[in-house]
Amino acid sequence: MLTGPATPVGQLLSELWQRRALLVVLAKKDFYVRYRRTSLGVLWAVGLPVLQAIVLTVVFSHVVRADRLAGHHISYPVFLYAGLVPWTFVASVLPGASTAIVDNLGLVTRVYFPRLLTVLLVVLSGLVPLATGVVILLGLTATLGPGLHLEVLWLVPGTLLVVALVAGFGAALSALHVYSRDVRYVVQAVMTVGFYVTPVIYPLQAAPHGLRTALALVPSAGPVELFRAGTVGADQGWHLAVAASVGWAVAVGAWGLWLQSRRDRVFVDLL
Amino acid sequence: MSRPVIELQQVGKQYTKYDDTALVGGRLRVRARSRTSLFDAVRALDLEVEQGASLGVLGRNGAGKSTLLQMLCGVTAPTTGRVAVRGRVAPLISVGVGFHPELTGRENVYVNGTVLGMSRNEIDRRFDAIVDFSEIEAFIDTPVKFYSSGMFVRLGFSVAVAAEPDVLLVDEVLAVGDFAFQMKCFRRMEEIRAQGSTIVVVSHNVTAIRGLCDRGIVLQRGSKVFDGAVNDAVSAYYASVGEPSDDEQADEQRGAALEGFELLGPDGQPTAHLRTGDAAVFRLRVRALREVAEPVVGLSVSSESGSLVYSESNLDAPFRPLAAGESATYELPFTVRLATGGFTATSALHELTGPETVARLTPSNPLSFYVAGRPLVSGTHDLSGSGLREIRP
Repeated sequence: MLTGPATPVGQLLSELWQRRALLVVLAKKDFYVRYRRTSLGVLWAVGLPVLQAIVLTVVFSHVVRADRLAGHHISYPVFLYAGLVPWTFVASVLPGASTAIVDNLGLVTRVYFPRLLTVLLVVLSGLVPLATGVVILLGLTATLGPGLHLEVLWLVPGTLLVVALVAGFGAALSALHVYSRDVRYVVQAVMTVGFYVTPVIYPLQAAPHGLRTALALVPSAGPVELFRAGTVGADQGWHLAVAASVGWAVAVGAWGLWLQSRRDRVFVDLL
Repeated sequence: MSRPVIELQQVGKQYTKYDDTALVGGRLRVRARSRTSLFDAVRALDLEVEQGASLGVLGRNGAGKSTLLQMLCGVTAPTTGRVAVRGRVAPLISVGVGFHPELTGRENVYVNGTVLGMSRNEIDRRFDAIVDFSEIEAFIDTPVKFYSSGMFVRLGFSVAVAAEPDVLLVDEVLAVGDFAFQMKCFRRMEEIRAQGSTIVVVSHNVTAIRGLCDRGIVLQRGSKVFDGAVNDAVSAYYASVGEPSDDEQADEQRGAALEGFELLGPDGQPTAHLRTGDAAVFRLRVRALREVAEPVVGLSVSSESGSLVYSESNLDAPFRPLAAGESATYELPFTVRLATGGFTATSALHELTGPETVARLTPSNPLSFYVAGRPLVSGTHDLSGSGLREIRP
């Protein structure tokens, strides 16, 4: 039973759990709707990441020789793809997650469920391309890269970390977005910069010494480093990047949860 | 004695109107410092509704009806006081929430059912009943974008009432669908009520409220001004609608003051309630604030849906001139040839300014009334007093 304007964190989480069926049904709906009118259907969800991997491999092994950037001993396409998989997840999911409450106006203004569910919905829909990316990455590592070793298990915490980061930032940003619609554009701007300050196309050690620590503190650096550690081998100073990302995920996630809990049932008034 | 299903204690809902706040320094500013204004959508509302009761909520636009409904289904929280609703709430405001045009009827039933809080199992069990009720078996596997709006609403309604809610909240949706389906919805709601559910209907549609509810409350500017039997509530509603709103009262610059616009029933007393066939009178009383050379009275009646039912004026033959400060009374006697429903009449004093042009001198002051007509007559007019008959050779 709902009484006050706030939904206590515990109650918020338990209501989310009770409404998990809604989350799944809506995520499935979005997924099917996206591919319904296409003749290849769901193949697109797999096809696009595969195409991206092929283009990368061809361009960076035959057209541009960028091997020096990553170090001579590793394959640059694999190195690059390892960074792109988590980054693409962030770049494609976070903008949608930060506007999720407002975007689901029709649903949110007519039926009550914890508003955080809309954020999780966006995150959930991003999992299929992420999983596809991980599978392709494993294939690339096995063929063009150093092969699959026990280190590949780093991909598990890497995947969890990137999902937690995006969910945490999404929870906080979507709450802020209700109050200030600037958030949408701020996030877009940050994403543009984010691609370059996250060590996606270069390893951490390629940056000038003074910048290295700063770059390691970028929230999205940790998952990228874990993906590297699981495939082509970690960059120097990757521990700091991972620790920083975990810190960001916990801190921003907790703040986001607090915002969601405090404002859960008054967001509607501002939509 | 069981606890009431719906319990509101001193519930108030205040909205803050913000000028868009900018994101400054990444901080969430809940209140921008100066440029906000507050308004109360609902004030100090106490309400208890017992299980199995049916409550109609009446009030003009902006009276707080939608806010009340939103608080009852938990979408928004009250600013002050406490709202408690026990059991599963099915908001009929959300007919077709989550419906996606690309999905088939079948898929949408599952999405919409889940949105309304049903488990997959429950939907499976009720699926046939839902489809059966909606009368669209043939199209259940067609994407709903090919549905007519009537089919869309029928399917949405069928899902909502299949949820077997403890509390059914009904908004204006009943206006949709054809007559036969509306009747079916009414019957279904009666059934739901008979099973012990509680129904709350929020509508301008007085006919629907009278048909469905035993009890009615009237909201006016966020406060409850009446609570009682539904027929009394309807009368109180029409009385309250007739009251001039603030901006109309303030108008002093017009050239004539409105002293009264009334509807008199067969007994000669002011009323808001007529029956088809009654002899009634509209009476307009005005006082000229300056000299009015050629006074003209205009009077019109509109239906609940806002369409013009009747209008008349004496543009071709103005009344006698009025001196400054002089009062005058004008009447229009008529026989009620209207069918069941709510109507609004307006009348104002004008001055002829050219061959075909007039300037309005008094504020327009709408007066609402309700007509109880013959059963089985629908529409706005009752053309025949004597009814249908067969001609024998």
